[in-house]
Amino acid sequence: MHNSQKLKEITVFIADYASVLLGSGVHCTRVIRNSKRICESFGLDIKMTVFASSIILTLTDPVEDEMCTEVVVIPQVPVSFELNAELSALSWRAHDNPVAIGELKAEYEALLAKPRLDSWVVTFMVSLANACFCRLFDGNLGAMAVVFVTTFIGFRFLRLLKKNRVDHFLAVLLVSFVSSALASFSVFIDSVDANIAVATSVLFMVPGVPMITGVIDILENHTLIGFARLMRAFLIVLCLAVGLSVSMVIFQKGLL
Amino acid sequence: MIEETLIRAVCAAVAAMGFGAVSNPSRRSFPVIAVLAASGYALRYVLMQGGGLDIATATLLASMLIGFGSLWLGKMIHSPMTTLYIPALLPMVPGMYAYKAVFSIILFMQNLGEPTLASVYLNDFFLNVIVTVTVILCMTVGASMPMFMFSRRAITLTRNRKKH
Repeated sequence: MHNSQKLKEITVFIADYASVLLGSGVHCTRVIRNSKRICESFGLDIKMTVFASSIILTLTDPVEDEMCTEVVVIPQVPVSFELNAELSALSWRAHDNPVAIGELKAEYEALLAKPRLDSWVVTFMVSLANACFCRLFDGNLGAMAVVFVTTFIGFRFLRLLKKNRVDHFLAVLLVSFVSSALASFSVFIDSVDANIAVATSVLFMVPGVPMITGVIDILENHTLIGFARLMRAFLIVLCLAVGLSVSMVIFQKGLL
Repeated sequence: MIEETLIRAVCAAVAAMGFGAVSNPSRRSFPVIAVLAASGYALRYVLMQGGGLDIATATLLASMLIGFGSLWLGKMIHSPMTTLYIPALLPMVPGMYAYKAVFSIILFMQNLGEPTLASVYLNDFFLNVIVTVTVILCMTVGASMPMFMFSRRAITLTRNRKKH
């Protein structure tokens, strides 16, 4: 049994929980399932409508015959698989051992406050990853070294642009141009497969996560948000290709 | 062939961990991501080079291996399947085909006055788009298949995950 104020408090919490989960790159069905699991621990029913940029949810107390609706904007947060797993686990803990809303909120806040991987470690790992990716496209050691350096510079530049709140699409376009332009200088080094180095220098920005979650959403009948994710991924690839093509036209007098 | 497969498997493992690092996975999931990516990519390479399969079929089978692996290993580390299989699939995302499709549009527009060249670029565009879409579909369907087949197990992977 809940009074109106308590129902409102739980609704606001679930709205925030669901929006953060969706913003963290979780597919729709899991967001709905996890939110439902927490609501059931409070003896409540939930109905959710999920759009690409907002969520509408209504919680119902079947005993008191009360309901509360909330509309929440999905925050633009970076994808976090750890948060994804931890918030899922939180819903199971609430389901298996129901606790008061205050306690659940405190645990939720603690999870949100957990630091992400160190930015320089991530930069190093992404650079190494892209260098290895270059090898998968038959690049030689010289090309791998060039891709490592250009990815390192490009990824730091991307971070800087994001920090200064530059639009994501513009940032991808600029970074794609800078990374591929730097890689273009490898044409002067005989031991480097310059074409492979230039082509793979921007691949670290290919939006693999929205591409995959978009298809999962479509397969699970959340077609609208699935297409929205795929469209965003397509626009990122478009910006990436435009940045790359500009540098190729300038530095190599032609596209691949 | 064996040596090249092993080198590619290691490269795919490093690529998956690196690209996955952007999406902030938990530290304990890194070894699992590496194993899944290496085995999936190696299987796809062997099927394409040794078995003569096309990229879509090979990707579908490799993704199924990654999907079943994430279901099995996800239970051990109490992580959702998607947090393991999405980074492991990243080395197989056809990024090169995707932006070659965009190049083809640019080149098509630049050569509208020359019908022969324009039709070559239009052909390139459709080729690259079809490969990109088919491979992404095969990747996702293959990796998600275990989620639909063993849905009960898949949705309870994070149950009993310890607090950190």
